[in-house]
Amino acid sequence: MSKNDAAAIQAILSGDKEAYGELVKRHAQTLFRAAWRITGNEADADDVVQEAFLRGYRKLGSFERRADFATWIYRIAVNCALDRLASRRSHDACRVGEEIDPEQEQVQLEDLAAGPERLLLSGEIRALQRDALRSLTPTERTAFVLRHMEERSSEEIAVALGIAPNAAKQAVFRAVQKLRLRLAPLRVKV
Amino acid sequence: MKHLDEEELVAHFYGDGDAEAAEHLACCARCAEAFAALSADLLEVEALHPPSRDAAYGERVWASIAPAVSAYAAPRRKWLRLSLGRGLSYAAACALLIVAAFLAGRFFEQKQPHPPLAVNPAPPAKPRVVVVVLSDHLDRSERLLVELKHADVETSAPLRDEARTLLAANRICRNHAGNDPELKATLERLDHLLDELAQQPQGLTPATLIRLQSEMNAEGLLFDVRVLRTQLPEPQTANRSHGGIL
Repeated sequence: MSKNDAAAIQAILSGDKEAYGELVKRHAQTLFRAAWRITGNEADADDVVQEAFLRGYRKLGSFERRADFATWIYRIAVNCALDRLASRRSHDACRVGEEIDPEQEQVQLEDLAAGPERLLLSGEIRALQRDALRSLTPTERTAFVLRHMEERSSEEIAVALGIAPNAAKQAVFRAVQKLRLRLAPLRVKV
Repeated sequence: MKHLDEEELVAHFYGDGDAEAAEHLACCARCAEAFAALSADLLEVEALHPPSRDAAYGERVWASIAPAVSAYAAPRRKWLRLSLGRGLSYAAACALLIVAAFLAGRFFEQKQPHPPLAVNPAPPAKPRVVVVVLSDHLDRSERLLVELKHADVETSAPLRDEARTLLAANRICRNHAGNDPELKATLERLDHLLDELAQQPQGLTPATLIRLQSEMNAEGLLFDVRVLRTQLPEPQTANRSHGGIL
């Protein structure tokens, strides 16, 4: 843990609430990036960041001084994002739309009549990838995002998800399998 | 030759594969082809680029959550905690000692035979006959002293006769006073007074009467006789118990 983080935590636990502001400013961008990649939604990501820092403040008394605050708060954010995904999946109905709009939680069904020209459009490729990512379970999606995009090790993923390292590797593997299957039409047509 | 499965290829892609897998990929065209296909697919999955957040993003997050959090209570100073804890320990130890001492004392007391009470041991009881005689003698002496106190020259003659009677009884009582120094001293002073009264053949002169009254008052003889009389058991009880012999 950086000396700055340790000093800030010491100050917070001694009654200086404002010192937590320094930690929030220091780590908010990192948490937002991970939260957005897991939830795929800007508003949700903002909520996840706030929720994570709130949870972190309330649990700070139990934070072990030897641990790394960045890793600790990152794990909390991942859990908050997973909670958000679970909540969204249980409440939201899947809607069918003409256009892909990730902010509206719409899913575009595969149009078998679509030509390769349309699929080649990079925007649509990214949309398909997002769609493929959404088809994963929250754990698979989070494990894949952390491994593939956040470049976290299997051990870090295991800690963040609260699972064994082998289970983390399995989650990444299942996610890769599903994504390849989902993106296979794109590969063939291209 | 055992080929690598998809899980091993994925692990190798992310750098989790072992050296054996790397060696196999280097010499196995089939596995190398499968790995190339996997790599192509995964490399096509672009990193999702999150929307940008400006430098003030952290400040905005803090501003939104700050009202919802309250400051931690400052911990007490370590020495204060130590001294408080030590003080409580001492107090508890003292209380425990006091309780233990109290219980031990009670236990010890119950185990010990109760000694007889030794507070103001009563003087050895006088024989009841002596008590009755002494009580009667003191009673008569008190009356004599009262009369002497209020006597004048004309009325003092009967006092001489009574003094002679009491003088013999007083000497008997004095001889049987035993170890009671107070009684003995009073009876001696009474003896002196009775002797003087008894040795006045012509009756008391005014000067002698005044001198005796003064000595009696100065020595508090009448008071002492009264005190001694009250300290004796009731003569009636003694009389009853002895069937009125005396």
